[in-house]
Amino acid sequence: MGADQASVLAEITGMLRAVLGAAAVGEDITTDTTFGHDLEMESIDVVALAGRLQARYGDTVNLAQFLAGLDLESVRDLKVGQLVEFIADARREVAA
Amino acid sequence: MSVVHANGIAMHTAQLVPTTGDPEPPTAVMIHGMAGDSLASWYLTLAAPVGAAGLRVLMYDLRGHGRSERPPTGYALHDFVDDLHALLRKLDVRRPVHLLGNSFGGTIAFSYAIRHPDAVASLTAVESAPPTTAWFQRIALRLNTVHSVTNPGRRAAAARAFVEATSVARDLPASPLPGDQAIAAISCPVLCVYGGTSRMRDLTPQVRRLLPHAEVAVVPDVGHSLLITRPAAVRELVVPWLLHHTPKEAVS
Repeated sequence: MGADQASVLAEITGMLRAVLGAAAVGEDITTDTTFGHDLEMESIDVVALAGRLQARYGDTVNLAQFLAGLDLESVRDLKVGQLVEFIADARREVAA
Repeated sequence: MSVVHANGIAMHTAQLVPTTGDPEPPTAVMIHGMAGDSLASWYLTLAAPVGAAGLRVLMYDLRGHGRSERPPTGYALHDFVDDLHALLRKLDVRRPVHLLGNSFGGTIAFSYAIRHPDAVASLTAVESAPPTTAWFQRIALRLNTVHSVTNPGRRAAAARAFVEATSVARDLPASPLPGDQAIAAISCPVLCVYGGTSRMRDLTPQVRRLLPHAEVAVVPDVGHSLLITRPAAVRELVVPWLLHHTPKEAVS
């Protein structure tokens, strides 16, 4: 994992704590943590996370667009690492 | 999350603003269903494709739902219509809007179009019906049986918590309804999408009779959860229809 991805993971971990509550998230969010099975995120939590990503990264990170390609079961199976990769890629594209 | 204070309550909203550069793009407002639903049903399905088509997409959690405020009372049909009107005024949306409603959200859209006919550019109703007596009898039945669901899933549990914490089960069935004549006077373009195996299909003859100009589309082999289980099918019906009813110069 590159330095950029590590910093994105740290930021997402902070956002997940804010959305779900620190107790619900615990200490151990990794790139393998899943939205549905591990974090028990409901769809409205995913939207709240999207709002925070939009506030932090602006229109360069369009989570709605990313999620629109997935069905709800795939959203539950989504790993934090996939989100980190998506954000890191989106930011790299803007920087390039 | 973005909270807008309108009509006396804090409403959780989400918006997708197209990056096409149009300073005042046409607005699509997406309204979710009753009890246990939230704006996420639209956010995760049609919001992105409609936004990508060049429309500004506005979603909000109805009062008592999602992350919006849950006042103990005030759940008649007109309260939901007042909330939408106040929200659009607060956000300074002046051009006629494209309303999209899922289930009861569609009923709010029809009711809004009756009350504010000049403010609605088009109306898309997914698994929904205008505010008829027959439809409200079904809504009342659903609200009154939400307690008796055994082993409720998350959604049913959320619906039950909402019904138990508020006066919705009394207010909504007692709502004054506009009447068939007012429904028949809706003149904006209307698209109704139903699931082929949904019991909502029973209501389609009445919808066709009251709104003969409405286009009715049926997605086979799916029930009331059409929007969240078959988003691609709904998207393929709705997005071209919306673009067809949006002035060409308004989208790039």
